[in-house]
Amino acid sequence: MGKEKDRSSDSLKAYHFKLFVAGNEPNSRRAKEMLQRFCENHLRGKYVLEVVDVFEDYKSALENNILLAPTLVVADPKPETKIIGSLDDERKILEVLGISEVEEKE
Amino acid sequence: MEKKKEEREVLGSRRGRKVTIKKTPTFINGLDEILNGGLPARRTTLIVGEPGSGKTVMGMEFLFRGATNGEPGIFLGFEEPPRILRENALTFGWDLRCLEKDGRLFLMEGRLDPEVVVSGQFSLKPMLFIIAGKAKEMGAKRVVIDALDVLLRLFESSSQVRSELHQLNKWLTESGLTSILTLKPREEPPLSLFQDFFYSMADCVIHLDARLFNQISTRRLRVVKYRGSSFGRNEYPFVITEEGIRTIPITRFELRHKPFGERISTGVPSLDAMLGGGYQRASCILLAGEPGTGKTLLASTFVRHVCNRGEKVIYLSLEESPEALIHNVTSAGIRLLPFLKDERLHLFGAMPEATGAEEHLIRMVDAVERIKPQHVIVDAILACERMGGKQVAFDYLMRLLNFLKERGITTILTNQTTGTKSQIEISGNGISSMVDTVLFLSYISGEGETNRIIQVLKSRGSNHSNQVRQYRITDEGMEILEAFVGAKKDIHAG
Repeated sequence: MGKEKDRSSDSLKAYHFKLFVAGNEPNSRRAKEMLQRFCENHLRGKYVLEVVDVFEDYKSALENNILLAPTLVVADPKPETKIIGSLDDERKILEVLGISEVEEKE
Repeated sequence: MEKKKEEREVLGSRRGRKVTIKKTPTFINGLDEILNGGLPARRTTLIVGEPGSGKTVMGMEFLFRGATNGEPGIFLGFEEPPRILRENALTFGWDLRCLEKDGRLFLMEGRLDPEVVVSGQFSLKPMLFIIAGKAKEMGAKRVVIDALDVLLRLFESSSQVRSELHQLNKWLTESGLTSILTLKPREEPPLSLFQDFFYSMADCVIHLDARLFNQISTRRLRVVKYRGSSFGRNEYPFVITEEGIRTIPITRFELRHKPFGERISTGVPSLDAMLGGGYQRASCILLAGEPGTGKTLLASTFVRHVCNRGEKVIYLSLEESPEALIHNVTSAGIRLLPFLKDERLHLFGAMPEATGAEEHLIRMVDAVERIKPQHVIVDAILACERMGGKQVAFDYLMRLLNFLKERGITTILTNQTTGTKSQIEISGNGISSMVDTVLFLSYISGEGETNRIIQVLKSRGSNHSNQVRQYRITDEGMEILEAFVGAKKDIHAG
């Protein structure tokens, strides 16, 4: 299946990510690695990550208006936002999530 | 293998032979004739034009007409959302929703959310997969990608754009879909670097533009490339009408005219005798004369006669409103109203200056194709100059007459002459080569009275009387009297 879920106790998770990837393409692979690393570093235990492979599930891509891959959909916290690309820059994810690095260290 | 095929095609066209490739009709009025059958099937066509030149309409019409002719399609738009596309299409009477419900059309939103953040590299593969998946699901044969440049601008480097375009091209070639991509003519860098690539990936390239000419907006289209096919190489005017795009591929004056047909009465028996039996079907007759000599009346008398026989007429009145025309000829005994009611007579009043000559021409051609009349009256041809000048009037009339002659339609033109009766003026607007018969109506004064006289100045393919005859306008129409032998006037027959 195109969906992999990393769920422990979903109800308490503040962050819900859907990462749309194009199979095993380098940019998609990179985004997945970057995101997993980011989540483990910053959001351990507080997130749900769903990976959707558009090659296997074009309908989800269509429903979510995903024309480019990789695309990260931040479903929670609201409002829903999207980041397109291989997620090379961690600061952009922090920015989108509204987390400041100072806040994190506390 | 691919290269060999290319060479054969080039050779083929060099020798002037037609290389037949498979075509997909656009079903757009007039366009398929210019394209010698349609767009290259299962290949890519590029439509290039400034904003407002009609690219989106042409793309949408390609899909709408395809969908209603058994070829479902997908529209991916990067500028307008589906809601706006549906609204715009409705102004042409295209109910997209209905086609969407049946699975014959799919409108795909291409615009990205404005707050989207870009970080790192990406590809447009999902877009291709969605189209492919959707196409398979609905059995689509056509796809239009409108304003792809909007999406391509997201890419930061030209090498990324290049690689994506190669992907797109490869995918389109293998998809089996007949595709249209639209593009603006002058892109900013880095997209401008890929103009050549776009041109080479497309088997057919069409340029659209809209410009002002004599203060009247004119749209033109030109096919600049068509791999493996011949095509009309002129610039073709087109208009966007209430029913979509309309173009007329005739600017060449090939003589494919129908031969003259049988005689048909003018509606005035004694005039028939002067003409050797009446007008000839499929010929063009000019009624020239001074104001008030009864040109409109003579034309209307013919209309009454043929409508009584059950034939159909289009009467284009460029000087009088339909109401005024009906009223005036009724007072001379010619009642046309009943024919309007049973739709044998179609009377159009048009203000020459209201639109460009192209639109006038296209409206007439459309009316002729819809109504299929045996006869057309144009009253009066001098008014055509108000469409934008002498040359414009000449082009309009030549193309209209050419079109009518190709369809074997009898045409009656009226033209007003003033005091000096030079042959050019009588023949009207330099169109004499298209005119087969000229009747000249004038006044003659002498012995305390003014008389109306009529004569046949020209009649191709038949014997005609050289006599100058006197006529009267009575409550019953026109009545031709004995040969007029009074004061001689200097009139050249020709």
